[in-house]
Amino acid sequence: MPEPKLNEPILEIRGLRKSFGALVATDDVSLDLRPGEIHALIGPNGAGKSTLIKQIVGEIRPDAGTIRFEGQVIDTLDAAARARLGLARSFQVSSVIPDFTVLQNVMLAVAGASGAVFRFHLPALADRKLTEPALFHIEQAGLAGRHLVPAATLSHGERRKLEIAMALALRPRAFLLDEPMAGMGLEGGRQLTGILAELRNEAPILLVEHDMDAVFALADRISVLVYGRIIATGSVAEIRANPEVRRSYLGEDA
Amino acid sequence: MRETLNRDTAINLAILALLVATAIGAHLAGNGFTVTLATKAAIFGLAGVGLNLALGYGGLISFGHAAFFGIGGYVTGILASHASTGMPVTSLPFTIMGSNEMLGIWPMAMLAAGLAALVIGALSLRTSGVYFIMVTLAFAQMLYYFAMSWPRYGGEDGLSFYVRNTFPGLNTFAPIQYFAICATLLAVALVFTAVVTQSRFGLALQAARQNSQRTVAVGIRPYAIRLTAFVLSGMIVGLAGSLYADLNRFVSPAMMSWHMSGEIMVFVILGGVGRLCGPVAGAALFILLEHVLGGISEYWQALLGLLLLAIVLFAPGGLIGIVTRRGRHA
Repeated sequence: MPEPKLNEPILEIRGLRKSFGALVATDDVSLDLRPGEIHALIGPNGAGKSTLIKQIVGEIRPDAGTIRFEGQVIDTLDAAARARLGLARSFQVSSVIPDFTVLQNVMLAVAGASGAVFRFHLPALADRKLTEPALFHIEQAGLAGRHLVPAATLSHGERRKLEIAMALALRPRAFLLDEPMAGMGLEGGRQLTGILAELRNEAPILLVEHDMDAVFALADRISVLVYGRIIATGSVAEIRANPEVRRSYLGEDA
Repeated sequence: MRETLNRDTAINLAILALLVATAIGAHLAGNGFTVTLATKAAIFGLAGVGLNLALGYGGLISFGHAAFFGIGGYVTGILASHASTGMPVTSLPFTIMGSNEMLGIWPMAMLAAGLAALVIGALSLRTSGVYFIMVTLAFAQMLYYFAMSWPRYGGEDGLSFYVRNTFPGLNTFAPIQYFAICATLLAVALVFTAVVTQSRFGLALQAARQNSQRTVAVGIRPYAIRLTAFVLSGMIVGLAGSLYADLNRFVSPAMMSWHMSGEIMVFVILGGVGRLCGPVAGAALFILLEHVLGGISEYWQALLGLLLLAIVLFAPGGLIGIVTRRGRHA
């Protein structure tokens, strides 16, 4: 895969549009994710953040517009193919394989990223090409020693970490994190903020988040989505100072 | 984790040992009928093992697996009847002669069932939930009515072939020898299932059952995984159908009816969905009940229904789940 030129965006969204009947959920959205940055996407409930994420990962098809990933147009690729390119995603509601152990969950991601899933012979748990990277990413995500625990019995915070381990196993070129702070307590949120700050060293992050403290602490740039339309993009200071953003979203006290 | 694995293995071996011991004991006692019952249990168990790969491990609730059972049976019956007349089955696009050798018949039965599973699976796996159940049922019923109205091979009367097919070095007419063939194939299918479900593929299959969206998000297409499992499942059931045809030396459309699909499903549910030897235990129990209760009353299936209800409500892990005291499998 050719290395992208410096500062050329990893993810480049141009003129994306999606409507459901009369409702325009995504209205001419253009957005860049540059190497090394955390780009936060904020906006009130119903602004169309989830719809936008679903179009980027390939779960729903936009009506118009184009998405480039590392220079390649990915409009015709399905969600699995986009994931294999290194577009790693976490879900708003933690999404793991409940009856699998932590290790099996991450092994699944390693296997998926390898593209070689049709192996029928070797027991997966004896396959060091799966177990070794999996254990590495489990430790990276802060779950060391928990690899034999069934995912269903993990705490909410641990499940978040498991999702991050699975994202890391995809050898990601970009992260799409959908409200990772949701449901985390104060301490858990602080811990996760630390983990996200380190994640950016692996790949840039498009961060959908409601927790403004986390956004202001982490983001290099912020885009504000209101009624499916991006009303502003800029640095933390620019967004805080933007009168339109204050009026429509942040409120006067921000 | 390792402990429960060992316990599962011990139970699986115990079930097989019990089946084999029953057959050998009956043989020594000169009770050929019981040997045949044990053979039937092995064959039904094999069909259940096949369905379990799709239903238990893959979560694909197929209500049409009788189609593959029947196709395996009909391939066997058709080849055997042509072997006795000496006429080729077909001469276009190439000549296929009849055969009365099991070693030639089994691959043909599995191939035909696998091809049917590929077509049926490719279409039905585009749906899910209750639609999947209905589409698989519809395909099986289509084949059922096709067999009913195909006079060349007996139509609704079915097709008899009088002489059991042969296996090199064995007398397939001796009940215990035919049992040995069926039990060996059952063991092979069990080993195959154990290996496949623990492989990368098995990991992906079981992941897709539990959380399809998550499976996609790590770059795996559930459709291709499920279709592969569906075809493998159909091939195993096709082999069981072939053995069943040889057991009775008779095939009929009933092998493809929804009633048969339901029975195979019952084997899996009775024994334990997604448990390696569950379907074998389920099939054995089914045959036992059919024989014991069926001798008391012709309405024995009402009791079977009650038992099934009790298992679904109170022991979703089936017989194996009761023994291992675990409700779910990982």
